[in-house]
Amino acid sequence: MKKGIRSFIAASVFAAASASMAVSAAEPNEQVRSLVDSYKKSSGAQSFSAEEGRKFFNSKRTHSVKKEERSCTTCHTTDPRQPGKTIVGKVIEPLAPSVNKERFTDPEKIEKWFKRNCTWVLERECTPREKGDYITYMMSL
Amino acid sequence: MKIKKFILPLLSAGALVAAMTAFAPAVFADGYERGERGDSEERGESEGRNGRNGGRIIPPADNAAYKQECSSCHFLYQPGLLPARSWEAVMGATGKHFGEDLALDEATVKELLAYLTANGADKQTNRRSTRIAASIDSSSAPTRITEVPYMVKEHRKIKKETFSRPSIKTFSNCGACHTKGAEGNFEEDFVKIPKN
Ligand code: HEC
Ligand code: HEC
Ligand code: HEC
Repeated sequence: MKKGIRSFIAASVFAAASASMAVSAAEPNEQVRSLVDSYKKSSGAQSFSAEEGRKFFNSKRTHSVKKEERSCTTCHTTDPRQPGKTIVGKVIEPLAPSVNKERFTDPEKIEKWFKRNCTWVLERECTPREKGDYITYMMSL
Repeated sequence: MKIKKFILPLLSAGALVAAMTAFAPAVFADGYERGERGDSEERGESEGRNGRNGGRIIPPADNAAYKQECSSCHFLYQPGLLPARSWEAVMGATGKHFGEDLALDEATVKELLAYLTANGADKQTNRRSTRIAASIDSSSAPTRITEVPYMVKEHRKIKKETFSRPSIKTFSNCGACHTKGAEGNFEEDFVKIPKN
């Protein structure tokens, strides 16, 4: 009986521990790893920085025509683990793979949204280094 | 200023409505009859995607590529909300889509354009789409549903401040108030304007 309880407790502790592992930092899949590698090649960077990615994500810029302040956080909020909202009012599921495992799994989708969103915020495409830092930041959350 | 812009389309809409009166009773009778039987459930398969039902439901979007490419940023607008020539204008400028670069490849644009034009408001027989189509001057191709005269008229009582409530944000956010909007159902019974 006691033994039963003990192993039950052990099992629950183990389950809790693996559950908490599942919600901490994520590992990119094969395709995304090679996407990040291609960013390394074209930028010449040895490695990418989650801290630089965090700064990039939070930086603000005034649009040259609209004269309004824009940032990645305009739609994604300052916490990528939280849902965001587009300017047309549609909810955006969280970006951090630790809470949304569909994120950063499909290179084509990633590249498409970089193109759209970087153009909207920065009026140019993002550089390979910015993209590498950004993904590294998202993976670290 | 806005009012002037509407007089012309309204006049032509009026003429159209008058011209339609001859067969309108048949259409409307059909709509009510189906409505009583619950047209939203029955419509789908038997009536086909063009919604040949004379009912009040705009056939919901049923194209996978369209859902994938056109619903991340906003409500998935039913093709029956704009006439084909408007969809041509929208899909002819995907690089400058209301300030967004949609970054779509040519094949995708072609596929979406074919779907949207085949199911545009002017190809539908449901009452909402036919009214939308009839309200637009034949020489214009609005790219905004929210600027279609019929839409403006139906929403004229809603104040600007209401649209800018945080949970609504804009008139373009149909789903915020039309709780069955995604199903193409914009009926009054299913309208609920969020308080904040
Ligand atoms: C105007 C609103 C908006 C802004 C601003 C914005 N995004 Fe996004 N972002 C979106 C939407 C919408 C999605 C797609 C959501 C979905 O697929 O559910 C998205 C998705 C993404 C994705 C795809 C992630 C994945 O794998 O699913 C990346 C990468 C991304 N955004 C990067 C950025 C970057 C970098 C910035 C700042 C330069 C930025 N975004 C700013 C709206 C925005
Ligand atoms: C990257 C974000 C994004 C994507 C993806 C997107 N749109 Fe839009 N769309 C917008 C924005 C922003 C507006 C302007 C909303 C506003 O001004 O209130 C808009 C407005 C519209 C409108 C007019 C709505 C109104 O106000 O009446 C239509 C129609 C439309 N989009 C169709 C499409 C179609 C078709 C696609 C797919 C090919 C698409 N959109 C994909 C961002 C997007
Ligand atoms: C702020 C809330 C709100 C938003 C956003 C909104 N509507 Fe409406 N809509 C209403 C209200 C309220 C009515 C009037 C209902 C009534 O009294 O018949 C209405 C009426 C309509 C009607 C006529 C229905 C009828 O019974 O006559 C249609 C069609 C419609 N809306 C479509 C749309 C579409 C498409 C969009 C997005 C482009 C939209 N609406 C956005 C609140 C809204």
